[in-house]
Amino acid sequence: MKWRRINYVLHRDIGYLCIGLTLIYAISGVVLNHISHQFNPSYNIKKSETYIKPFPAGTEPDMTLVDDILSQLNETGAFKNVAMLSPGNIRIFVEGNTLDVQLATGKTLQEKVTRRPLLFEVNYLHLNKAKGVWTYLADIYCVLLGLLAITGFLMIRGKVKTRGIILTLLGFIIPIIFLTYSL
Amino acid sequence: MKKLLPFTLLFLLICHPVLANDISLGEKLILDKKTLVSEINDEPEKYLGKRVRIEGIIIEVCAARGCWVEISSDVPFQKIQVKVVDGEIIFPMEAKGRTAAVEGLVEKLELSHAQSLAYARHKADEQGKEFDPSQVTGPTKIYRIRGLGAVIK
Repeated sequence: MKWRRINYVLHRDIGYLCIGLTLIYAISGVVLNHISHQFNPSYNIKKSETYIKPFPAGTEPDMTLVDDILSQLNETGAFKNVAMLSPGNIRIFVEGNTLDVQLATGKTLQEKVTRRPLLFEVNYLHLNKAKGVWTYLADIYCVLLGLLAITGFLMIRGKVKTRGIILTLLGFIIPIIFLTYSL
Repeated sequence: MKKLLPFTLLFLLICHPVLANDISLGEKLILDKKTLVSEINDEPEKYLGKRVRIEGIIIEVCAARGCWVEISSDVPFQKIQVKVVDGEIIFPMEAKGRTAAVEGLVEKLELSHAQSLAYARHKADEQGKEFDPSQVTGPTKIYRIRGLGAVIK
């Protein structure tokens, strides 16, 4: 088999192998690019403020009080924990919700957190939260991307030679120009 | 379907930390002795640079990157921050309210007035709260734990 044929077969088959992973990293890459304090790419975080019946001064926080607060808010999520943040301020953790209650006023801040479907999973892989096995799989994917680039470069010839050279150069020039002006 | 089995098993293996009840992050915990958060808060200089193991409720998680958590103390209204290297450990938002055992090195941040203002603004942004510069009156010292490993129960 001629080396050009081998190169073509390698490029084609590695390309097929990389389709799924590339889509995962592409989708995740876009959302992770826009990460900020206002936008969490993996979770939907909804904050809201509401008022419940205030509690008399000196009320000792206990599970009866927690149950009372949760029932006033119709919160049915599984109870996780409770902590006193400061005198008169209680934080209740239930599955998917965190409630900060000012006992004297009844002012309650709720923070409901849910996973963004699909984005949570692709970000989980992109950020390599799993570590272990995924580290090696992601390394292999990087090597395959490098092979795709090399085999792609070696396919530049014939009628598309000029176009291939220009587009390849653009791929190098764009980041160089950006770095020149941003560093 | 039989051909899909290895891929399914591999996926489950990779996703194990998502599905597991106990979540292990970073290095393995090696210390047997637990140090109380209140002891570190009372005498932080004594523990500076030392590896400690603390336990408590995770009362706050960095919503943007999962790069820090706040652990409640054994003493009411006290807490301590555990900061990790971005990407090395990522605390999931679901960790909020769960109990954690964390190991790490106690460190001190000495911030000038300007740095303290920037730090307070950054924290307010992270928590979606309004920044009040009048709360920062001068240079500050912050003691926290550089997290190396954690088990979230």
